[in-house]
Amino acid sequence: MKRQRTLGPTVATHGALVIAALVVLIPFVWIAAAAFKTQIALLTGAFLFEPTLANFNEVLFTKTSEYLHNFANSLIVGTVSTAIVLAVATLSAHALVRRRAPSWLIHGLLGWSIAFHMIPPITMVGPWFVMFRTVGLDNTMTGLVLAHITLNLPLALWLMCVFVREIPIELEEAAWIDGATAPQLFVRVILPLVMPGLAAAGILTFIFSWNEFAVALNLSQKATATVPVAIAKYAQEFEIKYTEMAAGALLSAIPAVVLLLLGQRHIVKGLTAGAVK
Amino acid sequence: MTVLGSNELSAAALPATPAIRGGLLDRFWPGVSLAPSILLFLILTLLPIANLVVMSFHDITWQQGRATWTPVGLRHYAALANDPLFKAGIGNTAVFATVAVAVQMLLGFFLAVLTSRVFHGRVIYRTIFVLPILVPGIVIGAMWKLMYNFDFGIINQAIGLVGMMPRDFLGDRSLALASVIVVDIWHWTPFCFLLLLAGLESLPQDVFEAARIDGAGFWQELRHIILPLMLPTIAVTLLFRLIVAFKVFDEVFLLTGGGPGTSTEVVSFSIYRRFFTEDRMGYGSAMSVVTLFGLALLIIVAQGVARQMRRT
Amino acid sequence: MSDGRIDRRTALQMAGAVATTSLVLGTGARAQTPRQVPMTIVINQSPWFDGFRKIVELYEKETGNKVNLDVNPFAGSLEKQRNSVRAAQGLFDLLIMNGLFYAEMYHGGFLTPINDIDPSFKLDPAIPTFDDTVFFDPVTKTNSSKGKLMSVPINPNIPLLYYRADLYQQKGLKVPTTWDELLANAKALHNPPQMYGIVQRGARGPSDVTYDWFPYFNGFGGELFKDEKAGDFTVTINSPNGKAALEYYVRLAKEAGHPNTGGQAQAQVIQNVVTGKAAHAILVIAAWAQMDDPSKSAVVGKMNLALPPSAPGFKPAPTVGHWLGGIPKNVPKDRQQAALAFMNWFQTYKAQVEYTKAGAPPVRLDVMASDMAKEPANRWMKAMQEGLPLGRQMWTIPEGAQIVAITELRLNQAVTGEMTPAAALNACAKEIHEVIEKGGYKTGRLPDLT
Repeated sequence: MKRQRTLGPTVATHGALVIAALVVLIPFVWIAAAAFKTQIALLTGAFLFEPTLANFNEVLFTKTSEYLHNFANSLIVGTVSTAIVLAVATLSAHALVRRRAPSWLIHGLLGWSIAFHMIPPITMVGPWFVMFRTVGLDNTMTGLVLAHITLNLPLALWLMCVFVREIPIELEEAAWIDGATAPQLFVRVILPLVMPGLAAAGILTFIFSWNEFAVALNLSQKATATVPVAIAKYAQEFEIKYTEMAAGALLSAIPAVVLLLLGQRHIVKGLTAGAVK
Repeated sequence: MTVLGSNELSAAALPATPAIRGGLLDRFWPGVSLAPSILLFLILTLLPIANLVVMSFHDITWQQGRATWTPVGLRHYAALANDPLFKAGIGNTAVFATVAVAVQMLLGFFLAVLTSRVFHGRVIYRTIFVLPILVPGIVIGAMWKLMYNFDFGIINQAIGLVGMMPRDFLGDRSLALASVIVVDIWHWTPFCFLLLLAGLESLPQDVFEAARIDGAGFWQELRHIILPLMLPTIAVTLLFRLIVAFKVFDEVFLLTGGGPGTSTEVVSFSIYRRFFTEDRMGYGSAMSVVTLFGLALLIIVAQGVARQMRRT
Repeated sequence: MSDGRIDRRTALQMAGAVATTSLVLGTGARAQTPRQVPMTIVINQSPWFDGFRKIVELYEKETGNKVNLDVNPFAGSLEKQRNSVRAAQGLFDLLIMNGLFYAEMYHGGFLTPINDIDPSFKLDPAIPTFDDTVFFDPVTKTNSSKGKLMSVPINPNIPLLYYRADLYQQKGLKVPTTWDELLANAKALHNPPQMYGIVQRGARGPSDVTYDWFPYFNGFGGELFKDEKAGDFTVTINSPNGKAALEYYVRLAKEAGHPNTGGQAQAQVIQNVVTGKAAHAILVIAAWAQMDDPSKSAVVGKMNLALPPSAPGFKPAPTVGHWLGGIPKNVPKDRQQAALAFMNWFQTYKAQVEYTKAGAPPVRLDVMASDMAKEPANRWMKAMQEGLPLGRQMWTIPEGAQIVAITELRLNQAVTGEMTPAAALNACAKEIHEVIEKGGYKTGRLPDLT
């Protein structure tokens, strides 16, 4: 099917994509370049500059810096909460889409999750802080993971509903008749087919957890603080440390980029699995 | 009863478990599948939402380190009508969300369609198009503010090269909201792109092949195959993007602070100010509740309209 | 059963004896700071934080006491403190509170008066009281020196006039003391877009244009309330003095300021100064550290500082934007004592000298008057020492958070020309009056300006 296409449209497609990529990249490269500038070079808007690694040194290795520690915290919170969100969301989505619960529960759960998603986080952190403090989960990774799961569950739940819905019911029926148990059906039929959806939901969940600030700030202290809390420290009352901030942001993008590149492989795998059917 | 389009999501039901097969695991599987979601929502969202609603009928003041809740009935809701910030915020947020989300959906969709049609470099394109969403909100605010800067910003330098006068993108009342929207489009298009691309990639490939054999062109394929099949993905992407756009905070907080005047005041920023900065939790809660209901109403109406259109 | 009772009584007696001993030791050995339990300070990351961190390390080394620092982004410091003081058991033993939110802590009854912890503690006389904001009278709810000592200043911060000393020398200009002189000097150096005579912070923000305008407002003899310390909250922002101050502020922007003053927040003002595009700016002392740092500034050695000007007959009125250390109620007594022990050590001359050397401006006036002030790098000390005792607080009530939302909008509208100064001040007066009245204060307002 790839060979059927003429060269013309492919070149046009690539042309359009390259232009779009440039528009997206220019501001990003500008931010990335800031990480290698001195503050004064950045502020004067100088186009040519002498690159420096001082900002990375400041972010990573000075005495007050806890960036690496924050980074590790973010990795734990991001991966654990994403894994749980995906599992919980896909399980629930399958049950919901195949109407294996009373109607009021299906609509209630989906409606409630979206209503929760509409609430501004600032109104939520107070009650959460009180709750977590009461049960001793403030300033713990567990608390932060729980909070991030809840924050990201609505999007993942709805998305997985869409993707599960796409799966032809006949496939499930066939597995059913072949004598698969419910968990087997879920693992062998549903999971492979929702891989592209899982990858997209997973990447977004991970990014949202990775960049979440308001809740992370309030539920964490020194030991449990995450990367956005560290980066926000560069926006000070009387001085915005732009260049250190850029360096911090650039470093913080690494895990998600890796995930994006790796995630692609899984999607392809998912597609082939789907094609085998 | 349907809630916010949720009925669109439930498809055909599985045949009931055959009686002979009634293994324990099979019988309880739906319950096991749903329990984690239900428990999480019950434990972690019931209290914040209930708290929000109850607070909106109270004034909460602190004395001697203790909170006093004074019931005020509907007074906070009545006061909203005369709040200049809230009124300006609703207008700006509506404009902001409509324009930004519309552009993001369109751009995201076409980038996704284009990306799904190339085989070489798809990983690279996909990674590049997702980059903006990886930058934390606070950094986006600070950095774009530098780019927009009147005296030194790269954008003014660029338009200076073609002989135009520098503009104060964030300080000029007629430009500020548009400038914030541009940043939001840059920041959030990746969200639409990523989800729509995933939707495209999970479409059954045989339909496309059949269409190509029938000699359908790109636009026909788009209209008659891609769009109808993608509708659920598009709807959910739009829904979530719209909600997040209504909650826009970071960009405004860092770029303009709601100014100049009230030209970039948005609802979540007013809520932040009333609820948190001014510590008027009751009044701020009423703002949140009204916004929540307004948004829900909007979605229900939009859904109704969509259904009507589909019928005709 | 009787055995048990005896045991309990003995135990009680022993406990009493231990308590008495520790009390005696506590008062007797304060000079060399006795052993204290570990405690936690909540503070925000700021240009002076590094100095504070070093001094905390020195304290730990000298006394062997353990201090944890919970360092937060500026934008999150109030959130964290509010969460902690409102909880049943607080997380933090010493709050480093901003001049904009300490009032909430006083009025809400979240802090322990310092002399309730140690009746003999006194604020060192060399430390200014920052417009009496260290005191609070819970009966009249005002910051009056007759009230109780609630906090110890941790960071002094006032706006001063930053000017280009090199250009002053070139043009033979004299440091201005009146607003007219400032306007004349700014005009003399105004050459846009290469050089702006002055860059003002006219943007609407959390507290941008308001904080920038207040030295003008008070320096023209304007007052927000008739007599705040005596409890008279009659709104007087729209007095003739207020009008003169706002008209001057707008005129200065128009004739010698940035073409987009209404869009300049603090970061842009500093950016214009360090890149050499601003001849003057009224900026907080906390921004000074950037001026002489070659990686951050193109005007190293070229800036100098003076008191903000004032109108004839009125004193300069730098608006305090300081940080205060206060001890919450909801932490155990021993941790309160540990927090106070640190502040007691912190306010000594020796500690303040070290604090200064570590890069943070001190809170003691005598340190700023010492020989250290003669070093060129410390040329800010003289103006600072003169300015601190003149420091004025914008307001001292928790409703300030609502007031600032009003003034930020209205003053910004005056700066951008959306409203006339008189109309903006009338709107401020009307809206502030509503807030104050709702708060149950004794209030009133002036007739509208025309």
